[in-house]
Amino acid sequence: MQRRVWLPILVAAVALAGCSSSKKTPAAASSSPAPSASASAAPSSTAAAPTSAAASTPAPASSAAAPSSTASGNLTVWVDAVRLPDAKAYQAAHPKVNITIVTFDGDGNGATGLQTKIQLWNKAGSGWPDVIFSEQVNDPVWMAQAPFDFAADMGSLISKDITSQWPATSLGQCTVGGKLVCLQDNLAPNVLWVNQKLMTQFGYTVPKTWQDWQALGQKVATEHPGYIIGNSGDSYGAWTYFWGNQCPLESKVSGTNVTINAADTHCTEMATLLDPLIKNGTAPPLGIFSPDFAKKYGGATDKVLLMPGPAWYAQDVFGGTLHIPAGEMTATTPLQWGTDSPITTGQIGGGPWIISKHSANTAAATDFVQWSTTVFNPDPTSKDARAGLPGYGPLQVSWLAGLAKNPYFAADPTPALKAAAGLIWQGWQLVTYPDQPVWTNTVVTGLVAGKTLTSLMPAFGKALGQAAKAAGYTVATS
Amino acid sequence: MQATRKRGLHAGGAQRKRDQGAAWRGLPFVLPYLPFLILFGILPAIYALSLAFTTSKGKFIGLKNFTTTANDYRFGPAFEHVFLYTSVWLISLIVFVVGLALMLHSRASKATSTFRFLYYIPGALAGAASVLVWLFMLDPAVSPARFLLEHVFGSTLFVQAIAPGHLPFIFAMIAFWTGAGGWIVVLYGALNTIPPDLEEAARIDGAGAWTIALRLKLPMIRKWIAYMGILSFATGTQLFVEPQLVNQASLGFVPDTWSANQLAYQLAFRYGKFNEAAAVSVDLLLIGLIAAVLIVTRTGLFRKED
Repeated sequence: MQRRVWLPILVAAVALAGCSSSKKTPAAASSSPAPSASASAAPSSTAAAPTSAAASTPAPASSAAAPSSTASGNLTVWVDAVRLPDAKAYQAAHPKVNITIVTFDGDGNGATGLQTKIQLWNKAGSGWPDVIFSEQVNDPVWMAQAPFDFAADMGSLISKDITSQWPATSLGQCTVGGKLVCLQDNLAPNVLWVNQKLMTQFGYTVPKTWQDWQALGQKVATEHPGYIIGNSGDSYGAWTYFWGNQCPLESKVSGTNVTINAADTHCTEMATLLDPLIKNGTAPPLGIFSPDFAKKYGGATDKVLLMPGPAWYAQDVFGGTLHIPAGEMTATTPLQWGTDSPITTGQIGGGPWIISKHSANTAAATDFVQWSTTVFNPDPTSKDARAGLPGYGPLQVSWLAGLAKNPYFAADPTPALKAAAGLIWQGWQLVTYPDQPVWTNTVVTGLVAGKTLTSLMPAFGKALGQAAKAAGYTVATS
Repeated sequence: MQATRKRGLHAGGAQRKRDQGAAWRGLPFVLPYLPFLILFGILPAIYALSLAFTTSKGKFIGLKNFTTTANDYRFGPAFEHVFLYTSVWLISLIVFVVGLALMLHSRASKATSTFRFLYYIPGALAGAASVLVWLFMLDPAVSPARFLLEHVFGSTLFVQAIAPGHLPFIFAMIAFWTGAGGWIVVLYGALNTIPPDLEEAARIDGAGAWTIALRLKLPMIRKWIAYMGILSFATGTQLFVEPQLVNQASLGFVPDTWSANQLAYQLAFRYGKFNEAAAVSVDLLLIGLIAAVLIVTRTGLFRKED
């Protein structure tokens, strides 16, 4: 009798001992740090959230558009590594603000670090940072809605005179449910990056249309094998090729409705155009940030001939990540589909700033975001330079002027960047679920295994639909 | 179970009383562990159970969370991955660990201590650290096993090395190398409890090293193997760290809901569906419990005689 009682208890104990070592239940998970927030710099403790301390410091109540000198008190900001110089510069310029900077991975590649964190803060009822910078342009969309409910209405914090200096398209992306929930740090339209030195050396002319681009790829494959005119392995591959070509993979978004149709001609024609290039190696399924890419095509090898990509690639990626020497790269306007007019292009990133609605020091938080987006602009050739095209109009002008003089580029890339900013296709809207990992794990895995993009499109469309439904969307195909 | 019941029926009142006394005398020994078991084991499990059968507002909804998650498009693949991984890992763990421990035990003592140490070394790397080491091992650009990767597996790029079909085997390999050493030492200890005169007697009866290992030693460490099986099955089905880290390192190449535990994590923290996440956790708990009961009854792990 006795033994019969003990047996199940012991079995349960043994099984539970196994459970408690890994993240089994939500309660167990919440007690250990989420691995996804591992950062390049060690994140300083989030427990330093200044709720109580800030409450004791009298913060100026209505200083929305006030000069920086009025901001004071405690402030916690979460930034990615690229925005770190920005946060540090703010700290130096505002000694009255006691700022805690936490670096995190910026939620790159559609990871879910931020969702996890915000869920945990919401459950705990404390710990929220005052300001977050995210590399994921769609983050504010879910941050503004249940169950996250994190983003504050910036429209009521920053004066209209200032916000109106962002392009209407950018403000549109940041408006959720009629509220302005973010401000884009930079605009990220796609352009065609060109290695002018190699193009001249090989005697090629820069293509104007996708069809010319493809024809050049076929030529490069036979005449200069090993050189590339693009790539297809980035998590944002669909944003590079399908957004610009008006393929409805995230269209007609209203509330929880979305249209996904991977069988649309705009999608299939682009897949058909890319397939021969993926096959002949001129648009390989490798991510630009993967070590293999830098080794095969970057630095001393210098095999990037052309690259459709976002405005922020610029010196940061070509010079910094890939080590392509100065005096080679420049940008030209986005590629056109045949004779279709007007030209439309995609967008990749364009990271937004978000203020927490739980912030105990809204004044300083607002001041920080305003300063970062409208004032911060170091020498464009310096290490701390802004990586991308600023969203705030007046700053954009001075930033472009600086970039035009940057000796890294073989020719002035600014006209192309400026023009592309107005060409982003508005038919592609942002959604709450991360669609980029779907591209990576349904399409890129297939491409690596030697399948054609055309054959993967139905599976891609289906997987996008599943991701949308899991996030609570109703999916239509037209 | 049957064997236990039979023993229970035969046992007289005196025996029962003696058992009761033994149970109370044992209490001080488990006492230091008890608060932790309750706080981090039993209470979270009860919390998960209550979450699994209710809505986020606390309303009882029966099995609805279970059916919703079972119909989720990620549920099937996640459990498929975990079962493939667990079977590959468990089989290799039991075969190699038992085999190596038996071999170790029949060697001369000097070589034994060296090998015991060598086997244990990979286990000194904790979970996450070992995954990072393995990420380097699997990247043909930097791997010391580059030759193997390129010529045996045909992978010249990291993304080819971690192709979806390879993953259960890769994770099984990582888990094997980090866990096997510790278990070899444990089983070696178990083998040392076998009285030497038994072995001596077997040898006099004409049993060779092979027969001694299989017919004498193996049955005597059966319970230890069962114990290893239960613990390893639980950790195996709850795989989390390895696919999560590879997901990050591969820039999203491996889905973030690869394993069942990851799915529970994503449901809770990306979608805010704590109740559905709890349902997946309870699924895992049930699987672990069923496996444990099966192993316990089949091997007589808690039987006291003999």
